[in-house]
Amino acid sequence: MSAFTLTGAEGIMKTFVAFVVFTSFCSFVLAAEESCFNDVVRACKTTNKMSQFPIACSAKYGGIEADQEYLQKYVNHHFIRSFEYLLMSTHYANYEKNRLGFEKLFRDLSDDTWDDAIELIQYITKRGGEMNFNLISEDIRSEELNGNNFELYELQSIAKAMDIEKKLATEAFQIHEDVCRKNDKFYDPEISHHMEEEFMPKHRDTIRKLAGYTTDLSNLLKGPDSSLALFFFDEYLLKQ
Amino acid sequence: MKSIIAATLLVCFFAVTSSELQCEHTQLDIPKEWKDMAYPCISKMRSQVEEELKAAMQYMAMGAHFSKDTVNRPGFAKFFFKAASEEREHAIKIISYLLMRGELTSKVSDLIKKKCKLLIILTPRLTSWANGVSALKDALRLEAFVTRKIRDIIAVCESNPTQFNDYHLVDYLTADFLGEQYHGQRDLAGKISTLEKLMGQHGPLGEFLFDKKLLNDEL
Repeated sequence: MSAFTLTGAEGIMKTFVAFVVFTSFCSFVLAAEESCFNDVVRACKTTNKMSQFPIACSAKYGGIEADQEYLQKYVNHHFIRSFEYLLMSTHYANYEKNRLGFEKLFRDLSDDTWDDAIELIQYITKRGGEMNFNLISEDIRSEELNGNNFELYELQSIAKAMDIEKKLATEAFQIHEDVCRKNDKFYDPEISHHMEEEFMPKHRDTIRKLAGYTTDLSNLLKGPDSSLALFFFDEYLLKQ
Repeated sequence: MKSIIAATLLVCFFAVTSSELQCEHTQLDIPKEWKDMAYPCISKMRSQVEEELKAAMQYMAMGAHFSKDTVNRPGFAKFFFKAASEEREHAIKIISYLLMRGELTSKVSDLIKKKCKLLIILTPRLTSWANGVSALKDALRLEAFVTRKIRDIIAVCESNPTQFNDYHLVDYLTADFLGEQYHGQRDLAGKISTLEKLMGQHGPLGEFLFDKKLLNDEL
């Protein structure tokens, strides 16, 4: 009789301890998920001064914390290209080149990359991140350090523009891969969806357009009167 | 066998010569008397392009700061992003003027200077502000700085040290650029005054209200 009750009491005790451990574990896990709410509760207790307990309620979730750096580099990439396109446009607008169609082509590319950069800054902040204007990816940094010439002839300049657009497009793919496929720490389809919606179709169309121009131009320049051909091509570009 | 080799060589020869791309054109001979901008004046105008783009990037940093969720002032953000694009338009206006006067036919790649070959204008000097008022005050200081730079160009292009008074450029800068600068500065000063008074008694509420007015273009 006494042995039975002792075992029974022990069993109840063990169950009780296990229950307490389990519930505290659960509440700990749930508390981590509700850190904003818990911060507010703590800060709003009448005995506490609001300022003593900062509320950590940011818009960050998913992969933004880890991927922010690459998005920031992508923004700076856009700014660099915007200025480079502006220089190319300037070159074609001087009286010696006088190619207003080419000027318009590169000016539009400059405006587009500028607007994309602003839109991407707004996107990063929408996800709870912030902008850092100091980060530049290594590829771009080494490209800049090798020196760049923006005073090119027509076919060369379109070829350069296409290479630039492909670099922008490939970086969008890399960001997409980083947040979805390449890592097992997080999965952020929102960032990848944003890349898919806002950047990839635009890049695809621009690259196709520029590739078409290189085809046309290289055929025109093979002919007997390349100067006349360039004049007409430039006029055509002005109407696009 | 020999005839096959000869035929192949002939085909290769024609292939190489007939598909030559004429990418470059001959050197032009255009008279240069019409280009009368003095060198110090050209140099000052060229450096102003970079100053305007630096101002654009500084405004961009302000816009980025006020877009953050921990700051959350969409009205200020909208105002500063718009200011950034406007500064870029100023830079493009200066470029257009230089092009009209026959400049920028060389060293276009150096127009936006690089430090250690990297674009230095990318990095704005300031990137965070305690509140909207301090950002507006920094914006006003930035505009005053750009105004001084434009006045320096006018001084150089008017007489010192070129001895060539560039009437049209000075007129253009005075009317278009300085006019816009002074109007913009007056606008900013008024906003700072309103906001500081709003915040005097009501702190965050004042800034909140001001931000929403900015957002709805009511100011």
